[in-house]
Amino acid sequence: MRIVIAEDTVLLREGLAGLLEDAGHEIVARVGDAQALMAVVAEHEPDLAVVDVRMPPDYEDEGMRAAADIRRAHPHTAVLVLSQHVETRHALELVGAGGFGYLLKHRVLDVDDFLDAARRVSEGGSALDPEVVATLVSPQPREDTLRELTPREREVLALIAEGRTNAAIAKRLWLTERTVETHVRSILGKLGLPISGDDHRRVLAVLTYLRASAV
Amino acid sequence: MAKGAPLHENHGVRTAPRLIACCLALAALAVIAGGLLLDWIAAEQHVPDSGSVWLYPFLAAAVSVPAAVGALIVARQARNPIGWILVVGALSLAAVLAATPYAWLALDAHPGSLPGGSWAALVSSLWPVFFAWPLAVAFVFPDGRLPSRRWRPYALFAAGSMTLLVVALVLSDELEPPFSDVPNPFTLRLPEAVGFLRPVAWLSVFASLIVGAAAVRVRFRRSKGIERLQMLWLAYAALLIPLGVVWFLVWRLAFGEAGADNAVVGFLLGMEAAVALAVGVAVTRYRLYDIDRLINRTLVYSVVTVSLGLVYALVSLVGGVAAGRGSMWVTALAVLVVAAAVGPLRSRAQAAVDWRFARPRYDGLRRVRAFVEDVREGRREPEDVGAVLAAALRDPSAELLFRLPASDAYADRVGTVVMAPVGDERPVTKVEHRGQEIGLLRHGRAVLERPDLLRSVLAAASLAIEIARLRVEVRLQLAEVEVSRARVVRAGYEERRRLERDLHDGAQQRLVTLGIALRRLQRSLPREAQILGPALGSAVDEVGLAIEDLRTIAAGVRPPRLDEGLAAALADLARASPVQVDVEATDERLPEEVEAAAYFVVCEAVTNAVKHGSPSQVRVEAMVANGALRLVVVDDGDGGATPAGGTGLVGLTDRVEAQGGTLLIQSPVGAGTRIEVEIPCGS
Repeated sequence: MRIVIAEDTVLLREGLAGLLEDAGHEIVARVGDAQALMAVVAEHEPDLAVVDVRMPPDYEDEGMRAAADIRRAHPHTAVLVLSQHVETRHALELVGAGGFGYLLKHRVLDVDDFLDAARRVSEGGSALDPEVVATLVSPQPREDTLRELTPREREVLALIAEGRTNAAIAKRLWLTERTVETHVRSILGKLGLPISGDDHRRVLAVLTYLRASAV
Repeated sequence: MAKGAPLHENHGVRTAPRLIACCLALAALAVIAGGLLLDWIAAEQHVPDSGSVWLYPFLAAAVSVPAAVGALIVARQARNPIGWILVVGALSLAAVLAATPYAWLALDAHPGSLPGGSWAALVSSLWPVFFAWPLAVAFVFPDGRLPSRRWRPYALFAAGSMTLLVVALVLSDELEPPFSDVPNPFTLRLPEAVGFLRPVAWLSVFASLIVGAAAVRVRFRRSKGIERLQMLWLAYAALLIPLGVVWFLVWRLAFGEAGADNAVVGFLLGMEAAVALAVGVAVTRYRLYDIDRLINRTLVYSVVTVSLGLVYALVSLVGGVAAGRGSMWVTALAVLVVAAAVGPLRSRAQAAVDWRFARPRYDGLRRVRAFVEDVREGRREPEDVGAVLAAALRDPSAELLFRLPASDAYADRVGTVVMAPVGDERPVTKVEHRGQEIGLLRHGRAVLERPDLLRSVLAAASLAIEIARLRVEVRLQLAEVEVSRARVVRAGYEERRRLERDLHDGAQQRLVTLGIALRRLQRSLPREAQILGPALGSAVDEVGLAIEDLRTIAAGVRPPRLDEGLAAALADLARASPVQVDVEATDERLPEEVEAAAYFVVCEAVTNAVKHGSPSQVRVEAMVANGALRLVVVDDGDGGATPAGGTGLVGLTDRVEAQGGTLLIQSPVGAGTRIEVEIPCGS
């Protein structure tokens, strides 16, 4: 994978680059702000851009806005946004379109998970941080249909929303893939969503549903 | 207020005129002093018509007052001829007055021993110069010019008459009494044919006096503003004439024909001094503005004195008839009655004089006193005092500013602060209460011409002004305290935000960087060092836990989700709570500090409920209505929460009130707690 990194903290940027290079990816550019990011993306058309949310000059949401711009202008470049804290507004909008991931920075320490998310995103899939998903899937849902789900089904639903495949869900919950498939079918059925083999379409449907039902 | 002559009139005054005027004035003083000494000596030697010691002060005043006033006017306004008229007039009068005793001594007491006795008699017989300076002043008062060009012939006529009279006297055979039998030492004589000139000159001098009085009258009718006040001073001096006439009549009744002559002389001399004094006041404008007050007080005291006299006479008369003449008891009773009558009579007389002669003052004072009464009864606000003053002074543009001693500034009735009253040319009068400046009154120029009205109205209103001032001051201070409290609270929120940023962007980033470095080390260990892998792994786990801790702390400082609005932040709060919290919150974005205040209020309320009330459920509402954010936090816990109970409710109240909001707690024991908060949010 050809990757550009936009992160204003140099040490962190080098650490991320090293991590990705260790995994066999090629870092084509490393920049420190959104403007430079747009330039290198236009120049290299990379497979993936790993972007920090807060960057100079204002340290607000420059990374998020750059991500939206990239997704619009360069559909072949996927974006994985890294944030210090949860911010759902823009993230949910972008995740819906695919080729986009939103993770809290410290998820990077879970290297395999992080690399998996990067891969999923670059392949047009999505990745959503569990904490963001948690803001959508409350342990005491007020929405009636969500209340019909069993606790296990709610766990599976959250993992679907994070953008994970059945195999990844099975591995995480120590279940067989078949059991996961059964759960997924049951969940989608209860929520009235179309059952689709396509992982990404499934994520979209679930996220759309959760966003609509979230207050 | 009423200061001396404007300083600029001092410029261009050379020392020479001042010196000359000073010398002339001193000469006049010296001459009259000498004259008085001579008269005293003459009296020792039993010379007739001398030794009226009680007349000495009048003689001295008639010369020294015009001399001093004249010198002062020359010193201040050398171009105004009035100063010179007074100085020269004083000197000539002194000469005439001093010549008389000298002539007596030289001709009568020691004939032949003193030189120039008959010359002194000639000077003495020029006594009509007594009229000279008052006549001249009548034409040119107060600015030193004639009322108009048309008056020129009259002025020339007056000057001619006076000159003719002096010449006729000098050139006549017979000197004026009492020296009619002394031969005129001057050798030149008027021809017999023009012997009628002397009576004619006398007649024209009297005619001139009448014309002079007419000039003053014309000038007074035309005058406005300051000139009117100047003319009033002259009129005040003239007002003494009828008093003098009364006094003269009394004197004559008491002492008969004999003393009356001296009484008239004394009175005329006193008049001369009084007119000179009034002219001085008017021309130098020193205490010019007090004329109204002076006339007013003179009238009041005259009325009071006369009335008390009548009362005394009446009581004595009636008492005398009843108890017999000369009874001590009658006198004592009369004194008592008079003493008791002074107070009420004075205020009645003052009101009557005001009502008749000073209507604005009468009306103004009545208005202000009625207002003060209304304030006392709570019918009007003390802050209305400015409008009342404007009405009382008949100046709608008058404007009252209250002094704020702490900041050395002024404020109007609604508390708008003005640093210094600048911007227009209107005069400003300080308002004082017990010697402290409590405000400023800006008013039109016309008000200055009624200083008595201004002074008495302000004095009557000063307590109301002070009360209004204190209220305005307290209100301003309270507003300031509220603003500063809101500022402190806002600074607190900003500080929390900065701290949260520092934790997330600083410390947390470093921990993540450290974790990545350890992780990379762990993943790149050569085979022979694989044994270090688990240790590195748990080190990374520790870093992860540290990051978790840090994020928890940062969220406690300020939840970053507040950036997404109150609803998002409250949803997180509900999720993190150990009991079920139902949130219904507006999606509307509100001012940052309102959202922050609302979040922390709900946070503290929920924490409080969980900690003290052990509820099973908490309901939170946050809705915007009528420009205010309305928060309701209801739990089904034990209730009984009071701010005094040390349960964190006090801090909550502070937080809400700093934002100008209100907080209501209902917490009956055993029936849960309901907290209602309203924070204005200006939307």
